[in-house]
Amino acid sequence: MKIKLRIKRCSPLGPGCAEGYYQAYTIDARPGMTVLDALLSIFDEQDASLGFRRSCRSAICGSCAMTINGAAKLACSTQIIVEYEKAGALTLEPLANHTPLKDLIVDFNPFWRKMEKIRPYLKPVSMIEGKAVQITQDDLGRIDKAQACILCGSCNAECSSLEADDRFTGPAALAKAWRFVGDVREAGGRARLGRLSDDHGVWDCVRCVRCTQVCPKDVDPLKAIERLRERAIEEGITDNPGARHALSMAASVRRVGLLDEAAMTLKTLGFLRSLGMIPFGLKMEMHGKMPMPMIFSQIENIDEVRAIYDECERIKPKIRT
Amino acid sequence: MPALKYAYYPGCASKSITKEADETTRIVSAAFGMELHDMLKANCCGAGLLADYDRQLHLALNARIFAEAEVMGMDILTICSTCLMVMSVANRDLKKDPALLTATNAVLEKAGLHYSGNVRIKHLLWALIEDVGLDAVKKKIKRPLKAIKVAPFYGCHSLRPSDALGFEDPELPHSLDDVIKAVGAEPVDYDGKTKCCGFQADLMAEDMAVSMTARRLKEGKTKGADCFVTPCPFCHINLDNYQGVAEKKTGGRIDMPVLHLAQLVGLALGLKAGDVGLERHLVSAERLFA
Repeated sequence: MKIKLRIKRCSPLGPGCAEGYYQAYTIDARPGMTVLDALLSIFDEQDASLGFRRSCRSAICGSCAMTINGAAKLACSTQIIVEYEKAGALTLEPLANHTPLKDLIVDFNPFWRKMEKIRPYLKPVSMIEGKAVQITQDDLGRIDKAQACILCGSCNAECSSLEADDRFTGPAALAKAWRFVGDVREAGGRARLGRLSDDHGVWDCVRCVRCTQVCPKDVDPLKAIERLRERAIEEGITDNPGARHALSMAASVRRVGLLDEAAMTLKTLGFLRSLGMIPFGLKMEMHGKMPMPMIFSQIENIDEVRAIYDECERIKPKIRT
Repeated sequence: MPALKYAYYPGCASKSITKEADETTRIVSAAFGMELHDMLKANCCGAGLLADYDRQLHLALNARIFAEAEVMGMDILTICSTCLMVMSVANRDLKKDPALLTATNAVLEKAGLHYSGNVRIKHLLWALIEDVGLDAVKKKIKRPLKAIKVAPFYGCHSLRPSDALGFEDPELPHSLDDVIKAVGAEPVDYDGKTKCCGFQADLMAEDMAVSMTARRLKEGKTKGADCFVTPCPFCHINLDNYQGVAEKKTGGRIDMPVLHLAQLVGLALGLKAGDVGLERHLVSAERLFA
C-alpha cells in the first residue's frame, strides 16, 4: 500500500534548525516493513539529502530513536503499516528534548555529559578492599533490566522534568546509576547516592511514567529511580526535601493510615520555608481548601497498618529490592 | 442489568483538599445506579512515595487495600489517577510474580490479612464508559453543556504504564474526549493533554513543577479552551490551586477554570454550581455554569 510520510527536516546550513519544516514522501509499504526500511528506501531512491542515524537494524545499537507519531520509538522496530493504520498518518520528527542538528539527527552531547556525570564505571570492592565478591542470581536480577539499556535516548526525549529543566540528570543516566549502585561489587555506592540526592538528581523526577512507557528495552527507568531513592534513604541521606517528603509520607500513613497534607508540607519544607506558604494557605482557606493537620481522624484497624510497618522494618535488613 | 457495586476508594486528596470531587462523585454515581461502598479500613496507597521509602512496605500496604476489597467481593473504584496507577502497578507486580505475592502475604499475615490476587482496579472514567455506558450517560443529560470548549487533561497516571492500566492507548487516548462529547460539550485538542501537571515536584522543585502547570494550561488556552477537565485530584491541585503561583512565576494571566470529571458530568445532569462545589475552586468556573 502507498503511505505518505511527513518528515520534519532542518539543515544547519539553512535558516536555522529551531523551526524546521515538513517534507512529504510517498513510499510503497509492504507488510512487515519498518520505519527504518522506509527511510532507507527514501534515501536510496528519492532523496539522498535526508539525514537520519542508523546502524544495526535490530534494536540493539540504539541509533535510530526518533519521534514517530508523537512518541519516541526505534525506527527499526516500528512497523510502518501498523503505525500508519493506528494513527491514520505517519509523522517522523527528531527526538524531543534534544537539539536537532540535521533532519532526524539530534545532538547527543548533552546525553553523554549526563552519562559522564554519574561516572558510569564500576569501582569494585575487590580492587579497594582486596576481597572477592560472590554474585548470586538475585544480585544479577536486581540490575539486569538497567543493564539492558541501549542508550537510544527515548526516555530522555519523553521526560517531563527534562522538558521543564535541562539540568535534570534524566532517566537514562539515572537508570545507569542504578546499574552501579545496585551492583553488589560496587564500593562507592554511598558516595554516588549522596551526589544523586543533590539538586537535579533523583528527587526531581515527577513520576510521569513516560520513560518506562517508551523504553524499547523494558529498562523501567522509573523503577530504577525509586530504588535509588530507597537506597539513599537507607543510607541516611535524608537532608533534602525529596527524602523528607517520602519520610513524612511514611510517618503519616503509620500514624493515621492516610496522607496528612498539612503535616507533610511542614516536614518536607521545614518550619521556615513553610512560613512562605502562608499567603498560599490563606488563599486556600478562603475556598475551604486549607488542609488541616489530622489529629483525630484515622482509618479503622490502624493497628493492622502498624503491624505491617513493624514487620517490614524487621525484615528490611534481610531483603534487598 | 446487575447492580454496579464498587469498593469505593476516593483517595486521600479527595478526603480533604479536593473533597468536592468526592461529594460530586457520590451524587453522580447514584444517578447512574452505581453503588459506592466505602472502604473504611483502607489506607493511603502512598502516591508512589512509599515505594521510594520501602518497596516491600509499599506492596504490603497496597495489598492490604486489595484484601479489604476481596472481602467486600467488589472491584475497586477510584477517582484519583495517581491512586489508580500506584495500585494498578502494585497489583500487576503481585499478580505476575508468585514469589512476590507470597512474600507480601507473609507480611500481611502479621496483620491477620491475606490477598489472593483477584481484585481489579478501575477509575470512575472507565466505569462511566465500560459499566454505565456513554449512551446511558447521554440519556440522563438534562443540561447539555453546549458551546463550552473543554480541554481534556489526561495527565500521566490514567494512561501510563499501559501494561498495568491497559484501558486505552496512551499515545491516542480518547476516553475523556468521549465523555466531553457525551455531555454535549466540545473537546479541545492540544499538545499537553497527556503530559505532566508537575504535582509530584511541587515541594521539591517548585519552579520546575509550576512551569509544567503553566505550560499545560497555556497550551489548552491557546487552542481556545473555556475550561479544563481532569480525572485526577492531584492534577486539579496544580492546575487550579497552583495556577496563581504558575502565573506569577512564568508571567501572563491564565485564568483557566479546571473541573473534576464528576463535576463536568454532574453539571450536565442538571446539578447547580453549588451542588458540585465550584465555589471551592481557586479559579472561578462559576461564570461558565451560572
